[in-house]
Amino acid sequence: MSQESSHQRPDFGRETALRGPFVFFFVAALVWLLAASALGLIAALKLWMPSFLNCEWLTYGRVTVVQKNLFIYGWATNALLAVNLWLLSRLTSFEFRNGWIAVFGGLVWNATLIYGVQQIFAGFLNGFSLLEMPREVGPVLAIAFLLAGFWPVVAFARRPSGHTFAAQWYVVGASFLFPIFYLIAQLLVLWCPASGVVQALVASWFVQNLLQLWLAASALGIAYYFIPKVLERPLAGYYLATVGFWTFFLFAGWTAPATLLGSPIPVWIQSVGVVAMVMSIVPIIITAINFHGTFAQNGGWANAWNSTSLRWVALGTISFTFVGLLRAIFYTRGYSAIIRFTEFYQGLDHLLVYGFVTMVIFGAAYFILPRVTGALWPSVKLIHVHFWSVTLALIVSTLVSLYGGYQTGLDLSKGAPQMIGGGKAHVLTAAAFLLGHAAFALNALGLIFRGLTSAENRQHD
Amino acid sequence: MKNLNLFLIGLFAAVAFPFGALIVSSQVQLGALGRAPAEEGGPLFPPREPGLAIQGRAVYLQLGCVACHTQQVRPAGMGSDIARGWGARPSVARDYVLQSQVLIGDHRFGPDLANVGARLTEAQLHEHLRAPSSVVAGSAMPAYEYLYQPKANGWAPTDRAVALVAYLKSLRQDYASPEAKLKQ
Ligand code: HEC
Repeated sequence: MSQESSHQRPDFGRETALRGPFVFFFVAALVWLLAASALGLIAALKLWMPSFLNCEWLTYGRVTVVQKNLFIYGWATNALLAVNLWLLSRLTSFEFRNGWIAVFGGLVWNATLIYGVQQIFAGFLNGFSLLEMPREVGPVLAIAFLLAGFWPVVAFARRPSGHTFAAQWYVVGASFLFPIFYLIAQLLVLWCPASGVVQALVASWFVQNLLQLWLAASALGIAYYFIPKVLERPLAGYYLATVGFWTFFLFAGWTAPATLLGSPIPVWIQSVGVVAMVMSIVPIIITAINFHGTFAQNGGWANAWNSTSLRWVALGTISFTFVGLLRAIFYTRGYSAIIRFTEFYQGLDHLLVYGFVTMVIFGAAYFILPRVTGALWPSVKLIHVHFWSVTLALIVSTLVSLYGGYQTGLDLSKGAPQMIGGGKAHVLTAAAFLLGHAAFALNALGLIFRGLTSAENRQHD
Repeated sequence: MKNLNLFLIGLFAAVAFPFGALIVSSQVQLGALGRAPAEEGGPLFPPREPGLAIQGRAVYLQLGCVACHTQQVRPAGMGSDIARGWGARPSVARDYVLQSQVLIGDHRFGPDLANVGARLTEAQLHEHLRAPSSVVAGSAMPAYEYLYQPKANGWAPTDRAVALVAYLKSLRQDYASPEAKLKQ
């Protein structure tokens, strides 16, 4: 594994303006990543041993909710905000002079998150996935996002040349849409709740938008940028990327009802969801051609494997293709009747949010951090620990969730009692994730510290 | 993609169309649902929740029971919910019209609770909350001991436990609804 940065001195200039905001968002993301992984381990231990840390504020129902919210809004969102800022400075010649606005937005975002989490621990939580934080949090987070995350849209509007890239479309699309569907969901679930089960429909629409149009779309932008960049060759079948982009965005919002098969919502709506899930195969195939087709040429896979950053992105894109196919197959009536409410679908979500989005972010971080800080990774050993522990944990936890969930579903349909505890496997994988993340955080913080101190030295020279 | 306005309008449409077609249309279709009698001239269902049950719903939320329990019975072709006795009929949208916060849930570690009020007595519910493993050996449900106080010969429920159990007792969809008759 070679460190790209070791033989090529990081370039300064435009990137120095980015250093502050990038480092701010990335450090915040790391802190939340560690917190979420520690809570993930606690939650897994609790499922395995319900008496573990059994007090009210650490009750399972709160720990697991905080863990999920921190992972999505703390880790993934902060990290994507950081990477998106960097990408936009690379893709457009946008001069980012207003870094303080982004940092201010980031401060508000993270302070609000702390408040929301503290409220959940105190027992003020709502009942819909990823909308659990108390309702006063929503509007503040939306404004904070506009300050911190709207820059890709601004840069896109001000770009001098007409040419645009696939990476840009995804990043602009994701940044533009997040505040819209986030606010609508807050409004219709928490502020003026829609009637009865329509709330469940809104909540599922929100979750699918969040997973696909914010998290996955941003990560697709990163993949579209890094693969041709690091391999130094054009993407295979790039002319298809426009179709891939529009089909991805146009189908995503319709897929939500497929996650509610059998719920008391109109049956035609459920069917629309299933059709959309199946049609989502189109962008999956196109992105697969673009990504895997490129890796398959002239030893691209080997090059990716030998690159500290691209190996993460390559694994991430494999997860993306895989999860897209599995979603199209298993969000259909016959399968849903068996596996709905088991850990199967959680396994699929994890494969998307971790196997794709998080892996791609790690890859981007290994590329960008040395360049914006001007320092090298302190420890190659820690890079290995990070890679192997999270990759193995991801593979094992995905297999356990998919296979275990399916088996449970079959047993339940044969009349087994509904009583599911957490397996030991999830405790072990949660521990492995925590270990890998600690290694990564240690290495990244060391690198940032080195970069900042040497930057000061340079100024004094 | 070169024209920013067109690009953003396209993106917006990607979010707005499904929103309008799926959510606005079901709000129109279901928003007007009200309570209905199970038989001509009979009382209206779903019944109004007693005040204590409304407090209990808050406790249910606070303790995060939604993470492990659903409140929805799927129709016979969609899973074994009815076969295993979780309800006499599938849940229908009308069952939820009085709830300002719908807790139908999306994950099951434990059984569905849509009809738990018809299934278990108050005493059984208290016992289950205080010490699940005394009811089901090796239960994966955490014990909510802090809702109970020791007393001379056993345990006394706190106000929150009383409210929570009143809420659980109010959970029952065992009346006929115009959309779903009870099986004879
Ligand atoms: C960690 C997941 C978990 C949490 C959190 C949880 N439960 Fe359970 N619950 C279970 C499991 C598993 C069972 C089945 C085993 C058993 O009966 O104890 C169960 C069973 C039950 C039953 C018995 C149902 C029946 O039909 O026999 C009731 C009632 C119940 N839970 C209520 C609650 C309430 C109320 C809360 C919140 C205060 C709650 N549970 C929180 C996992 C959980």
